[in-house]
Amino acid sequence: MKRGHRLEDPRSIRKLWRGFLVLLALSVLAGALIDPKPHFAIEGWFGFHALYGFVACLVMIVGAKVLGWCLKKPDTYYARDGHDD
Amino acid sequence: MSLAQHLPALQVVLPLISAPLAVLLRHGGVAFLLVTAGAWAAFAAAVALWLQVDLLPAGGVLTYHIGNWAPPWGIEYRVDRLTSFVLVLVSGTAALVLTYGHASIEREIARASHYLYYAMFALCLAGLLGITITGDAFNVFVFLEISSLATYVLIALGRDRRALTASYRYLILGTIGATFFVIGVGFLYLLTGTLNIADMGARLRDVENPRAVLAALAFLTVGISLKLALFPLHQWLPNAYTHAPSTVTAFLAATATKVSVYVLIRFYFGVFGESLVFQRLPLPEIMLGLSLLALFAANLIAVFQDNLKRMFAYSSVGQIGYITLGLSFDSVHGLTASIVHLFNHGVAKAAIFLLIGGLVLGIGRPGAPPPVPTFKHLAGLARRMPLTCLGIVLAGLSLIGVPGTGGFISKWYLVLAAMEQRQYWLVGAILLSSLLAVAYVWRFVEAAYFRPVPGDGGVVREAPLVMLIPAWILVAASIWFGLDTSLTVGSALDAAQSLLRSGT
Amino acid sequence: MTSLHGLVPHPALLLIAGALLLPLLRGRARSVAILALPALALAALWLLPDGVLWRVHWLGYPLTPLAVDRLSRLFASIFLLLAGIGGLFALRQESRLEIPAAYLYAGAAVGVTLAADLISVFLFWECMAIGSTLVLWSAGTPAAWTASRRYVGVHLAGGMLLFAGVAGQILGTGDTGFHVMRLDSPASWLILAGFLVNAGAPPLSAWLPDAYPEASWSGMVFLSAFTTKTAVYVLLRGFPGTELLIWIGLFMIFYGIVYALLENDMRRILAYSIVNQVGFMVTGIGIGSEMALNGAAAHAFTHILYKALLLMSAGAVLAATGRRKCSELGGLFHSMPVTTLCGIIGALAISAFPLTSGFVSKSLVSQAAADAQLQGVWLLLAAASAGVFLHAGIKFPWFVFFQKDSGLRPADPPASLRWAMLLLAFLCIALGIWPDPLYALLPYPVAYVPYTAAHVVTQLQLLLFSGLAFFVMLDHLRRTPTITLDFDWLWRVAGPALAGVARARVRAARARLARGLTGLGRRAGAWILRNRAPDGLLLRSWSSGSMSLWVMLVLMAYLALYYLG
Repeated sequence: MKRGHRLEDPRSIRKLWRGFLVLLALSVLAGALIDPKPHFAIEGWFGFHALYGFVACLVMIVGAKVLGWCLKKPDTYYARDGHDD
Repeated sequence: MSLAQHLPALQVVLPLISAPLAVLLRHGGVAFLLVTAGAWAAFAAAVALWLQVDLLPAGGVLTYHIGNWAPPWGIEYRVDRLTSFVLVLVSGTAALVLTYGHASIEREIARASHYLYYAMFALCLAGLLGITITGDAFNVFVFLEISSLATYVLIALGRDRRALTASYRYLILGTIGATFFVIGVGFLYLLTGTLNIADMGARLRDVENPRAVLAALAFLTVGISLKLALFPLHQWLPNAYTHAPSTVTAFLAATATKVSVYVLIRFYFGVFGESLVFQRLPLPEIMLGLSLLALFAANLIAVFQDNLKRMFAYSSVGQIGYITLGLSFDSVHGLTASIVHLFNHGVAKAAIFLLIGGLVLGIGRPGAPPPVPTFKHLAGLARRMPLTCLGIVLAGLSLIGVPGTGGFISKWYLVLAAMEQRQYWLVGAILLSSLLAVAYVWRFVEAAYFRPVPGDGGVVREAPLVMLIPAWILVAASIWFGLDTSLTVGSALDAAQSLLRSGT
Repeated sequence: MTSLHGLVPHPALLLIAGALLLPLLRGRARSVAILALPALALAALWLLPDGVLWRVHWLGYPLTPLAVDRLSRLFASIFLLLAGIGGLFALRQESRLEIPAAYLYAGAAVGVTLAADLISVFLFWECMAIGSTLVLWSAGTPAAWTASRRYVGVHLAGGMLLFAGVAGQILGTGDTGFHVMRLDSPASWLILAGFLVNAGAPPLSAWLPDAYPEASWSGMVFLSAFTTKTAVYVLLRGFPGTELLIWIGLFMIFYGIVYALLENDMRRILAYSIVNQVGFMVTGIGIGSEMALNGAAAHAFTHILYKALLLMSAGAVLAATGRRKCSELGGLFHSMPVTTLCGIIGALAISAFPLTSGFVSKSLVSQAAADAQLQGVWLLLAAASAGVFLHAGIKFPWFVFFQKDSGLRPADPPASLRWAMLLLAFLCIALGIWPDPLYALLPYPVAYVPYTAAHVVTQLQLLLFSGLAFFVMLDHLRRTPTITLDFDWLWRVAGPALAGVARARVRAARARLARGLTGLGRRAGAWILRNRAPDGLLLRSWSSGSMSLWVMLVLMAYLALYYLG
């Protein structure tokens, strides 16, 4: 229980967030130190992967939301109508 | 002359003489021993004939002249590859069914009629073997009548009163069929002046009167189609199979319709010739249409049956569709499919009906008349009759055509034949129709394995070993012939090639 | 070696035979057999030399049910390895049917990989369908039962496509051998379609997330490993470099991500992620260069391991709590530390984090796309990598083990389950650190170095920022008790509804007909109703009179057709 408390404590969550952000910054900065040997021009841009990963995920989440709007049904959908034979 | 030379005659005579003996002795137990021994002896003779034919060069024929009268005046017995193949199927099934039948008969037929049952069974067997082996068209008719009359009695022996009406219906239809058959043979006799089938075929080529030939063909086709229950001439079959005693159903399902197919093949290829039947007339198209109807309509009807025996009876009508479909292709692969399916389906269906016989025995109360095996009785039965249910499922897989079972082999050749003629839609139809078979086998699985045992289920026992062993021999055979095909496909291919050679 | 291999049994048949004998064993003997069977089969596999080892004749065709090369050895090895670890995990499973069924299933999958002719492939293929259905059944719940019916339907349809294709191919080419095919005949298209059904390709992907999650807590581990990966294997052997597969694969990747993002059931999330991961492999096969094919094979290998690990941790949670929905789980890390750790390792591996097995295999595929100058494909694969982290890498462990506390405090599972998970976790990390043994097994020589500074840094950027996106958007990802409609709606709702409408129409038409007849003549109508209605069209028996009438009609028809035709 103790360990649980520590992880669920808002203060440690804030610390975790801070550590995470530092990690993010470090990973972007490390991009400056390496030679990417790009296959495509776009790959050579500074921080491309970071930005691309973030944006791609946003797009996918939004896309899923839109699809969910049309296709989401309560999880009793098939069972309720007795279609399940 | 040694015994081996008289094998063709013994093949028919052995079961034939066991019938009057059974009647004379009038004792169920003795009759059982006699007739069963006769059937096993016939099986031994069939196997021996098989080996003899095997020694002949490809396409060779073994002939036997009854009473040493040379054909075409005397009656000739002819045994070639196809003949001996069918003989083995018929006599083998009979031997197994008779061995199995004792316990089932006790329950399903009144004791006083037991000797009659065995006598009729022997007559029916002798008739079917005679139809197969004889080379004389009128002799075919005689044996057809012998086996049919015996069959009517056998069906009527069922304890269910509806067996009587079923038998009566079959009698009417069977008689019409036999009449048509004999009319057809009569036409041919008028045209050729001979009754010997081989001779008829040779002389028919010189006949100038196509109208009479066509009439003969039509009468023969319809007459035999009735006996083989080709859709829509099948209506006698479901009732007959449903209400007959279980052993009778098993025997008829495996042999009677199959022998009729054999007769059809003999007349089409041996007498009329492939070029007349398949190339000049729209017969292949008609047969194709009727076969497809059988595949879909009969199988679909089977899915909706509540009585297990009736369900598999309709399935038989559907499966006959595969056999006639193979014929309609008029190719080596198609004919091979027909002959192989005739055998594989016979084995699987006999196994299923024998197991259903055990099931009827298991769910019935001692002393009471045998119950009708409906789906209500099946609920949770797999837990109480595991071997019976597993056997039905395994043989059912062969009906579906699952790889590794005999049914797959027949489907494979059917699909090859359809693809050869670039009829891809037919491939789809064949495969779709097997989905219907899945549906009815699935219904059985669902009921037997997944429904809970009803509270008032009563006492249910597994069938006795004497019934299980013959049934399981057939189940094992339906799997075996899916794996080792040297016997079935080997002889079917051989027979198909020589039939198509002789037909042109 | 050549003198020895005659004595070595066929690994697949060994496992299948063992599966059939397993139900006879009890207690300790059973446990030993469960662990020893896959090990023996694996040993048999590795004692066999390369080349065609068995030749038999069946139906007049030459069959080669046992032939070994690098590709088949790789797939057979991973299948057997997973069968063994899965057997360990399922040791305490109460259903006595499940492990024998799973070994039958695994044996059939191994059989497909070792078969060098189309007929043997098809036979083992169908055997696999039977085995997997039995695994599904052994869960014993009504939901598993109804799902298995749909599952069987789809696989029978796929099997029929394959059957027709194989028959056509053999007839067309006269060759039973299973090797690279070109899409130049209906038969090869049918074969491809049959393969793709099992791969979970659109439009039939829905069978996978529909059926797999209904298996027991241990059953899904087996199901995840064999069917789809066998499909990957046959595509690798039969259709490498087929461009269509790139697009099918990409569709599968994004289908998996989007549906998994919307899903609430943890095991369905993982099921969608199977489709997603197989999409990577299918794309690699479509690219078709040596590196891409290596990548597809390697990814299949590593994916089997980490997906099994993920499903074991999910299975342990299911076994302990009886719950599958994310909205009812959470905070389990308190009392299930080992399961949590193993789940996280699996999640990192599926996301291709550096030092995990996913990193060394997935990068082969994207590198191959880059080498082939397929910029669009490469970009989509990069986005997909981020998406995998999103839907499986974070979402699964977060919602199951962390997020808000559900108050559940189940204990870690018993030893046999723990050891199976730890073994897989070890393999996931070990292959990530030291990929050379895996690379040595791949079908083509590998000249690729996964751990370059550039690759590690760019991958970390991609993954960390998708993690950021997850937590930023967390409010929009909150789980709701919903499902998302898929193509299976067509056969679960639309099909039955249409059938109902059709049935009603037919009934109405018949009623009208009967009314019309009554109008025509009361007596005739009453006669028809009396004789026909009680039994209905399908059940009635015909009177002898009408049967005879039919006979006459048929005879007339024959005569007419003969004389006119």
